[in-house]
Amino acid sequence: MRQTQNKIPLFPFSFRDFLIFIGIFACAVELCILLRMADSSDGFASPVFVLAVLLISRFTNGYLFGTLAAILSVIGINYIFTYPYWEFNFTLAGYPLTFLTMLGVSLITCTMTTKIKQQDRLRAEGEKEKMRANLLRSVSHDIRTPLTSIVGATSTLLETDGLSKEEQRALLEDARDEAQWLIRVVENLLSITRMGDARTQLSKVPEAAEEILGEAARKFRKRFPDIKVTVSAPDELLLVPMDAILIEQVLSNLLENAATHGQTVTQIQLSVRQENAYACFAVQDNGCGIPPKELPFLFDGTLKRSETPSGDGKRNMGLGLSVCMAIVRAHGGTMEAKNLPCGAEFTFRLPLCEKESQ
Amino acid sequence: MNIREKVLIVEDEKSIAHFISTILTSNGYETIQARTGNEAMSMISSHCPDLVILDLGLPDMDGMEVLSSLRSWSSLPVVVVSARSHEHDKVAALDLGADDYLTKPFGTAELLARVRTAIRHTRTTSANGEIAQRGTYTVGELTIDYNKHQVLVRGENVHLTLSEFRIVALLGKYAGKVLTYDYIIKELWGPRAGGDNQILRVNMANIRRKIEKNPAEPEYLFTEVGVGYRLAENE
Repeated sequence: MRQTQNKIPLFPFSFRDFLIFIGIFACAVELCILLRMADSSDGFASPVFVLAVLLISRFTNGYLFGTLAAILSVIGINYIFTYPYWEFNFTLAGYPLTFLTMLGVSLITCTMTTKIKQQDRLRAEGEKEKMRANLLRSVSHDIRTPLTSIVGATSTLLETDGLSKEEQRALLEDARDEAQWLIRVVENLLSITRMGDARTQLSKVPEAAEEILGEAARKFRKRFPDIKVTVSAPDELLLVPMDAILIEQVLSNLLENAATHGQTVTQIQLSVRQENAYACFAVQDNGCGIPPKELPFLFDGTLKRSETPSGDGKRNMGLGLSVCMAIVRAHGGTMEAKNLPCGAEFTFRLPLCEKESQ
Repeated sequence: MNIREKVLIVEDEKSIAHFISTILTSNGYETIQARTGNEAMSMISSHCPDLVILDLGLPDMDGMEVLSSLRSWSSLPVVVVSARSHEHDKVAALDLGADDYLTKPFGTAELLARVRTAIRHTRTTSANGEIAQRGTYTVGELTIDYNKHQVLVRGENVHLTLSEFRIVALLGKYAGKVLTYDYIIKELWGPRAGGDNQILRVNMANIRRKIEKNPAEPEYLFTEVGVGYRLAENE
């Protein structure tokens, strides 16, 4: 896959290109025949064929069909559209030069169009590469901070004598917390690759919404025993088509986000209800809310550490939220965030009926 | 003096093997270690451990191969440890006969709980000891009465339908263990029932509404997302 991208064959053959070539060339010949009915001077033939060569180079890959079209044009014009008609004659005065010029112009046109196309493709690839590099950079940055503190804490423990039991314990707890945070970063990255695996088509299965909520809440309680989580689901069983692992990730990210960024959060309400053709999931907390300045940029991953004065300043949930957004979008759903009179609310909606394309 | 249970740790990463061994030793188990699949196979036959903790990514062979060749002659409990986060791998390992699984990274509490459950299930040879003796299984306020085919919550019969009772009975028999969707469906509706999980999900939802206070915050019937269901067990 990558190899073919890096090394484009100069003369690739494909049936599609062949058809384009035949089609455009036939049109050019037809046009010339029609034009000759109106006017018997042959001056129009060359420009028409140059245009045909240009179009063929533009719509086919590589140099093969463009070059072929250039040569065939010269032969065709000589054979069909110059006196004597329907036979070759290279002996007429001035004609060899005309044909050489025509061949030259056609070949240069063909080469240049192909070059421009290749440059466009390279630029598009370059942009994708840049996005990937940006993601990698922000993730590496996110990973380096906790790693530094883990290495720092453990080295301090190993190399410093005379630390009190409490000091030792505090260092170890720091190291553990940082490691657990790293685990979550990696889980989010895994979610991204999981979506990439499926090639935009997720494997959606109807799942009981209450099971997913219950699991997400149970795991969250283990991690944050001090925060009270209540879960509510409708009496009637709500089956929602989804990739359950990914939606569980969305819920964990939102819960986690509330706990680490809400500052004063003591209670989180997790709920699901049916709204017309959608299942509406909501995570509400009673914390300090989302700073209004950050609201418009929450989901696009552009929030930088320096721009998040809230919380402990170094925890960047940008990755987590943009992963949430990507997962919900891949399900054909929508996601939004808003502030409540007291706290913040994140909601996302997933369509209840599976699309026919599934 | 008690004879300590022997746990074989099959893991090629030294640091992981070391921490598992430390935590198990300090909790009263005896541990032995193997680095490769072949070493594991020979240690299983020579040391007769009570439990195997098996990492799926081994240098010489896939842990799944160790599991399937072990299962051809022994029902020794196996807890699979894997870094693979795709649920298909967990399901595959469970269907191959693993007793439970742990996904890296896991905590010590989780490790100990899985080890305890897996060892308990061998001693009573698959069926729960309590069921064998008294014909009932009780956890919290939930009681499954195998003789009368009833499930009681706080002493009250919750009137499950026949298939609902059979699901709860099956989960109760293996309380604490994850049963995969496919396994439950095959046990209940036969091997030709096919892979339609929907009927199982609907049944589970009905059961939860009958035995749980809040179906969205279960105390007894837990979901392992993408894998299967697990009934709570007494600690």
